[in-house]
Amino acid sequence: MRQLLSRRSVGWLALAPWAAACANDPASLWRSRAETRGYECVRMSRERAHELEPGTVPEASARGGTFEQADALLCARQFMLPGERPARDEAILSTLQDSVQEITQAATALHGEDVTWHVDAFYPEPMVAAKISVAARTELAEHRRRVSDRVPVLAVGDVAVLRRLRPQEAYPLACARYFAEHVLAEKDLFLGLMIVDTRETQLHAGLCQAGVWRWLR
Amino acid sequence: MKGRVAGVLLVLTTASRAEESEVAQAQRAQIEELRGEVAAQIQLQALDLLDDLVFQWTEQPAFEVDTLVVLADLTVPIGFGSGLQALLENHFVSLVGKNPKSHLQLAHCPQCTAVMVRSSAKGTVVSRGVDQPGALTAAGELSGAHHALFLDFEVEGAALVLRARVTALEPALPIVFAKTLSTSTSTPALLRSPEHLKSRAEAQKEFFDALTGRSVFLVPIHLGVRTFAAASGSPLKALPMVWLEAGLEVALTQARAWTGTISGGVSWAPQLHVGWLAQARIARLLTGTVTSLTTPDLYAFVGGAVIGVYGLSAGVFKDTIPTIQDLADQIRANTNPTFIYGAFHLGLELRVKNRIGVIVFLESAPAMNNAPAIGKFIDLGVIQFHTIGLEASFCF
Repeated sequence: MRQLLSRRSVGWLALAPWAAACANDPASLWRSRAETRGYECVRMSRERAHELEPGTVPEASARGGTFEQADALLCARQFMLPGERPARDEAILSTLQDSVQEITQAATALHGEDVTWHVDAFYPEPMVAAKISVAARTELAEHRRRVSDRVPVLAVGDVAVLRRLRPQEAYPLACARYFAEHVLAEKDLFLGLMIVDTRETQLHAGLCQAGVWRWLR
Repeated sequence: MKGRVAGVLLVLTTASRAEESEVAQAQRAQIEELRGEVAAQIQLQALDLLDDLVFQWTEQPAFEVDTLVVLADLTVPIGFGSGLQALLENHFVSLVGKNPKSHLQLAHCPQCTAVMVRSSAKGTVVSRGVDQPGALTAAGELSGAHHALFLDFEVEGAALVLRARVTALEPALPIVFAKTLSTSTSTPALLRSPEHLKSRAEAQKEFFDALTGRSVFLVPIHLGVRTFAAASGSPLKALPMVWLEAGLEVALTQARAWTGTISGGVSWAPQLHVGWLAQARIARLLTGTVTSLTTPDLYAFVGGAVIGVYGLSAGVFKDTIPTIQDLADQIRANTNPTFIYGAFHLGLELRVKNRIGVIVFLESAPAMNNAPAIGKFIDLGVIQFHTIGLEASFCF
């Protein structure tokens, strides 16, 4: 019995270096699947990883040769845990920069630099809507477009009518009203970002110029 | 009977609810703990992004001359509260104040962020002050500022994104400056001094230098005592010897994971002995792969020494116990015994940031194996340890 215990102990001891090495592994046995999914990782050379995280990634030995030619995987946990924010908001916000870049690239490809851009977002949650419009404005301005912080607004009566229409009808009509009411001029361009269906998690976008609405995506 | 069953069910239900309540409380506590961790990370990353922004302004200012700007809005990621907002605002104001090269001067404008109602022939508009610059100008509330700065933080996956824009406070509200800065998984947060902002690369290098130590070479000075084991039944006992040592330590790897030291030392006790030693040690860091900036480092070392002792103390290390006659002969001849021996030692050193440390070691001196006055602290059969040493080390 004593010998058996001893063998077991030796077995566990043999696993100890492996277990210690796995302590920092985001996909190790010690972490749940949910926790593992909460990491975003970037693969890079060991030298670069050592520069960025010298306290965690040891320096590659100059005499390491063949045995130390391994890459490093630097991982960071997502700030927001699953369920902390509404799922739709999280899906929109976590891909906001990429979505906005795609949309603004598509929009600026269609128009020259002699227009003034106005941007607004239409999203059920006002705080998220503000984040979307700020991201789009900043992106356009960073690419040297003439961008205004002024948000074109319609009269209350117009809004009351537009709210009863389907999105496919409401946005073109709103665009026409902007132009008719002189809220937007000839050289003004309005970029609208929105979700069309309350269940979707992808941003749509449309352009309004001279009273004509055009869906970008 | 029915009453008893109902009672048991009631007790079970109550117990079950209490258990659920405990589990829920534990889960809440765990979530709060995680939230605290995440908030701390966000705080560091957000401060880092603000440092980056102001540093870029000091290198490439948004304005050519000093310009009054209203901090119109600073929004934090959705889900975080006004505490983080206040912290970031304070840090930003402090940064701008300490970096005049940014050419930003913050103006006080409480009306800019307040909700304003303005009625005119066209209608009534309710909005923030900064959205109606005409109204603010008319009310004389702009404090001379003609630009508004907006800072927006948002969490996007594992990255924190800062979007900064400056808007001219005129009816068309044109954006005159915009910048997006983002952290990523491959760029850890750096803490920079607000007075001397550095680029990310410079700050990274500074951190690395601090982590790897002050230089490749250190000059350690050790003040220590070697205590010898007493042999049982011996009428003589070796007195502890106090040593002062100085030497040169070199980092064998860049992060001081391995170090080597050569040193020399002297010992003196009035009327008893004069001693010298030369020793070499090689040490390995046990607590991690690099020295820590915040916690003590523990090293294990092995080494060897050659030690010479001249004086009465040396007599106890010899293979025979000196008799009264021997001592009388020595006094008459005005000579003292000399004992030179080789020793090797192994020990541990606990060191704080390569500045001060405590060393404890065991030393084996094969030449003392047959000394009747010297015992053994540890006898492993092949090796006997005769000495225990304790040293305080100071590195320069």
